This record gives sequence, structure tokens and C-alpha cells, in this order.
Amino acid sequence: MAVGGLRDFASGFLNPTVRLGVTGLSRSGKTVFITALVHALLKGARLPLFEAHARGRIRRAYLEPQPDDDLPRFAYEEHLAGLLGPTRLWPESTRRISQLRLTLEYEPRRFFAGGLHGGKLHIDIVDYPGEWLLDLPLLAQSYQQWSATTLSASRKAPRLAHAKAWHQMLATLKPTAPVDEQVVMASASVFTAYLARCRADDVSLSALPPGRFLMPGDLAGSPLLSFSPLELAPDAMPGPGTLANLMARRYDSYVAKIVKPFFYGHFARLDRQIVLVDVLAALNAGPDAVADLRVALNDVLTCFRTGQNSLLSGLFGKRIDRVLFAATKADLLHHTSHDRLENILRHLVSAAADRAGLRGAAHDVAALAAIRATREATVTERGEALACIVGTPRAGEVMGKTHFDGTKEAAVFPGDLPGDAARALDGSFAGQLKFLRFRPPVLTDGAFPHVRLDRAIEFLIGDRFA
Amino acid sequence: MTQPKRGPQAFVIDAEGHVKTEIAFARDEVHGELAVMPTAFDRSARRQFPWAGILVSSLFALVSLWAGLAITTLVEDFFARSAWLGWAALSVASLAGLAALAIMLREITGLMRLRKIEHIRNAATRAITLDEQASTQTALAGLDVLYGGRADMALPLREFRSHAGEIIDPSDRMKLANRLLMAPLDAEAQRIIARRARRVTLLTTVTPAAALDIIFVAAQNAGMLRELATHYGGRPSTLATLKLARMVVVHLAITGGLALSDNLIQHLVGKGLLGRLSARFGEGAVNGILTCRIGLAARDVCRPIPASANNRETLASLLREVVNFGGKDKKPGDGIAVP
Repeated sequence: MAVGGLRDFASGFLNPTVRLGVTGLSRSGKTVFITALVHALLKGARLPLFEAHARGRIRRAYLEPQPDDDLPRFAYEEHLAGLLGPTRLWPESTRRISQLRLTLEYEPRRFFAGGLHGGKLHIDIVDYPGEWLLDLPLLAQSYQQWSATTLSASRKAPRLAHAKAWHQMLATLKPTAPVDEQVVMASASVFTAYLARCRADDVSLSALPPGRFLMPGDLAGSPLLSFSPLELAPDAMPGPGTLANLMARRYDSYVAKIVKPFFYGHFARLDRQIVLVDVLAALNAGPDAVADLRVALNDVLTCFRTGQNSLLSGLFGKRIDRVLFAATKADLLHHTSHDRLENILRHLVSAAADRAGLRGAAHDVAALAAIRATREATVTERGEALACIVGTPRAGEVMGKTHFDGTKEAAVFPGDLPGDAARALDGSFAGQLKFLRFRPPVLTDGAFPHVRLDRAIEFLIGDRFA
Repeated sequence: MTQPKRGPQAFVIDAEGHVKTEIAFARDEVHGELAVMPTAFDRSARRQFPWAGILVSSLFALVSLWAGLAITTLVEDFFARSAWLGWAALSVASLAGLAALAIMLREITGLMRLRKIEHIRNAATRAITLDEQASTQTALAGLDVLYGGRADMALPLREFRSHAGEIIDPSDRMKLANRLLMAPLDAEAQRIIARRARRVTLLTTVTPAAALDIIFVAAQNAGMLRELATHYGGRPSTLATLKLARMVVVHLAITGGLALSDNLIQHLVGKGLLGRLSARFGEGAVNGILTCRIGLAARDVCRPIPASANNRETLASLLREVVNFGGKDKKPGDGIAVP
């Protein structure tokens, strides 16, 4: 890490680079955010609040070959073609890690700023499956600890209903039994099925490590992924040749060979971070999902190094000095509710935000829609004006008795968000909210409409255009 | 947003379907926002009955009554002497009355305009610090009235209005207005201040008598004040200018030290380098710097959107402009566009 830090520090003089960490659990909209960000900057979309752009100081924006040769390139063109194609589809969930470098040439404000590097800024963005992020808390846990937390969570309310098959399987496993590879593989697959069930739309739980079980990438079928939690005492040390010993060994390899390289390769050297959170999907699923989202976010966010950079920290591993917490898909709500959405997100990430603030990192919360799929309208129903959003719901979406086929346009009133953010967690709002998902919008004058994308860009990199 | 129980609903839009109207921008109350606002002191509580004011007003009324009587008798006298002399006197007197009325009206509109700008600035401050939708709308409506009819603001206003349909937070919208509407005005204001400062420096240097240059400096500063106020949309009549001058003095007092560096510059320029070269030119330079400071304070007072701390012009950049006599990009005699 120190070597990487030194290299970054040295190259930063000649090629100023912002490593933008787009952090988010799965389906929080990372790929759409990156695609929209790149598209907006390349096409010069309307970004009135991104000052350097609005003042016309950005001369040119283009994609460059990325710095890391061992990573695949972010399939920007493919994602864009999907969004713009005749069927207008959102990108499919990300299956592997990829990287993109966007370069902006700008008019430097001061001579010295332009003298060394000619007013150029590279923005490096990494996209990865959000499930993998869930692995970061494992860095600090042993196999026994992980088994204990996973088991105790599965025996409580929201998960218990879905863990039946796995619990039955678990009852037949003895930690001290001799190793039987077939048993190990079977238990791993039942455990994976349990995790997948918990992630389904109607449950929408978030804290489901290990992430590669849900999104194996190119590791499908590898022994690294065949282990599962066992009923173990916290200090139990199973002897060699036992089931528990093998599982513990595989867990340790999983952490050492998958989680660590992923974390140190991509997250330990970030400059700026945007944390994308799909609050609305969790609200859709109910208070349990919201509470679980909170736990997962806090577990993940403790792994990041936030704080102000000094000369020394610049040499030995940078800190993240700006964090934006963004509630994505804000276009599924009328803008009058955005304040409440921001309040709920602020409540969910309060621990991480406080930590960032204490260490001197700037942080902000915004309701964001990198691509705005809806318009706004008011529908008067029985004398009451409802602030609605208008768009084409995706095929298969259901609201009350109305089924959508992906062609009908509809005005949707998703319900009132609670004014007091704590009420989103206490269950008093169960069943009162329903957020439909819409198809991507048709392009208007060459750029995607958005909600506060410009504000997000300004907050994240606006100060780097000196 | 008052009814607590409203379930989610969907309205399919058919050919005849529901009536849908476009969005109406109205944001409900802001929850849990905290902002540091300066506390207002109520100093009127222990005020004594204003006998002095009554004395002055009644004396003034008496004098006006006397003037009215004098004019009436004068006109009557003229009528007694000859009819056409009387008519002439009457028409002159009514012309004078008309002029007095017009002046009064102008003073009143000037003061009202000043109050309006203050009102806009208060709303803008609230909008920026509290992120309030209502204040933003008040401020923006005021700005529309202020600059709606000005040719030089047509383009910036059009650009700003083009963002009206986008979802932008109230405070961000205010900052956008600050950038799009105020920036072109600020650039011109800086030129105004620099021109006046140069003139003050020159006048102080060439005036033979010390007493005379006080008058010159005062006149130039008053002129600058009026020019800046007009530039930012005010209508500086005499009373309004006086009130503005008082506000500028208060502003200078509040902003206090006005950055330590200016004093350093003054010492260096006034008593040091330039003073050695020529005592008069040293004084002139100090007066010029003073004019710049007054100009910046006046700009802050006249500006309908409060200048944010980081884009407040530093004196140094202004001084650079002052020194830039007829520089490559400035035309010193170039006036401002007045509505």
C-alpha cells in the first residue's frame, strides 16, 4: 500500500488524478451513475452547478486508456447503447470489476497550476459488483466470529423465515466430523441459496456476506467459495482433518486471497468517495430492510479511511477527504419529498458521517438521480392534489391492481415519506409506500436529464480545477 | 403534505384519462435545519418620547406654512398689480410646487428601492443559509423586478431562467443566481471603483491646497456610491444616498480591521516608498486605497445577493486594477449601462 501511495504521490505532480470511489451495495445504481457521469461530461450536458463546466473552463473531455492494465475496461459504450437502444434498458447488474479513466482539460486559474501539467485532470473510476463490498467487514473477523454473527442474524425475525432449509442442513453437520467434500459443497450451496433468497426484491436485505457467494465473478465453483458457517464456540479450535478446520481454512483463504487484494487494490487509495444508497428499495421492502441497510452501510463504511490529507498521509496511503452520501433514484419521488429522503439517508449513515466529520473530511447528503426517468405532475383526486411523477413503469411492475407492461405511461403517487427520519425504521410506515421502477428516459437534446448530478460532481471534484 | 395517511397510487394516463397539470414548485417546511443568524437587538424599548423630533418637525411645518403664505400673498400682490403678472407668478409658483413634488416622489421611490434591495438581500441570505424555498422565490421575484427591464441584464437573466425547470436546491439556486446574474455586474463594479480610485489619487496629488482635496475626495466617493447603487439596480436620490453612506460607514466599522494587509500596504505605499518620492503622491495613493475600501464596502451594501466570503474581492486584486492605467483590457472612460 505504501508503495502504491508513493507511486500515486509521484505521478500526482505531473498527472493530477482523482481516484473517485463509487461505493454502493448491489443495485444501488453504481453503473448507471458512472455511465451518466461520463456521458454528461463527454457531451457537455447542462450542469449549471458544476462551476468549472458552467463557466466554460473545461476545454475538452475524453476517455483515455486506464492506468491499471490488469483490469478490464468499464463497458461505457455498451451500457450507453443499452440505455439509448430501442428497448431502453438499464444496465444489467455488474458481474466483474472494471475501470475507466476520464480526462478533463481545463483552463487553469493560476499560472502555476497550469504550468506543471497544462491544466489536465484524470478521473479514475472503478466499477465492481456491489455484493463484493459486503466482504470488507470480513477483514476484521475470524471464521468463528463470522459464523457466530451469521448464525445469530439468521435466527432473528426477517431472516428466520428464509433460513429453514439451511438450518435443517446445519443440524446435520458436526464441526468435528471428518472432511467430506460432498457435504461441504452441499452446505455451501444451501447457504448460498439462503443468501440469495434474503436478497430478493420483497425481502431486500443488505448485510449478506460473503459477497462472492452472490456474485462469484470468475470464481464460480472454486474451492475458495465452498465453505459455510458452522455451529462453533467462539474459542473452539477444531483439529486438522475435521469439517470445521477445512471451512475455517477456506474462509481465511477467502479473506486473504479475495477480500484483501480487492480492498487494498481499489479502496485504500481513494481520494473522493460517493456512497450510493438505494433507500427507496429498502423502504419498499419494509422497516426490516431499512434497518438491515443501516447495519450493512455502517459495517462497510468503517473500512474506509476518511480524514484530511497531510503531506505524510499523501506519501503513505491517502485518506478520503470528501464523502458524498447520495440517495439514488430520487426521480422516483416528487422533488418536494427530496428533503425527507435526504433526512432518512442522513439518519442511516449518521455514524459514518460523524466519523468523517470528526476526522476533518467534508461530507454532504444529496438526493440524486444520475439519469432522471420521470417528469413531475400534479394529479387532483377527489379534491386533493397529489404530487406525482410521470414515466413509463418497467414491464412487470405492479401498483395496486394496475399491472404495467412497459409501454403504458402512468402518473404515480408513491406515498408520503415520513417527516421524521426515525419513523422509517420503526415500522409505522409499513405498506404506505410503493416505489415503482421506470424505464430509462428518451434523450432530450443529446443529454440525459438528471437530478443534482451537477451538485454531486461539484462537491466531489469541483475544487480540483484550480 | 398534511394528511398522514395517503396510500401509494398510480394513475395510468390514457387519451382522455386524468387531468394532469405541470408541476407547481412549492416546498413544505424544512425540518431540523439549524443556521446561525445574527440576533437582532431591539433597542427601541427604552427610547424616550421624541420631543426633539417633534420640535424639528413642527418648526419645519411652520416654515413651510410661512413659505406657502408668503408665496400666496406674493401671487395675490402680483394679481393686484396686473392680471398677466399674476398669472405668470402663479405658473412659476406651481412649477416650483411640481418640482418639489417630483423631488419628494423621487426621494421616496429611492428610499423604497433601497428598502426593496435590502429585502431581497435578507431573503437571499435566508435562502442560502437555511435552504428555504419560499425565501428563494421571494429573492428571485425581487431580482426579476430589479433587472427585468435592463438591456445589459437580458442575456444573464435569460440564461438563469433557462434553469427554472430543473430540480435545484433553494440555496444552490441562489448561488447560481449569484454567479450568473451578479458576476457580470461585479466585474463592472470593480471597474467603477478602480476608475474613481485613480481619479482620487490623481486629484489629491495635483491639488494645491490640503482643504481642497478633502472636498474632492468626498465628492468622488459620493459619486462612486451613486454610480454603484445605480449599477446594482438602486435609484440613489439624495436621501437614499445619505442612508447608503451611513450603511457603508457601518459596514466598514463592522468589517473592522478590513484585513491587516491593507494597513501594511498603506504604510509601505503612503509613508514609505511613494512618500519618499513625493509626499503628495503618497497621500494620493493612500486616498486611492481608502476609496477602494469604501467602494468595496459600498458594493457589499448595494448588492442584492450577499457576496459569499470566498468571492469577496480582495483589495489586492482591485489595487492591481487601479495600477493598470488604461490597461490592455480596460477602457477607463467607459461608462456603465444605466437603465
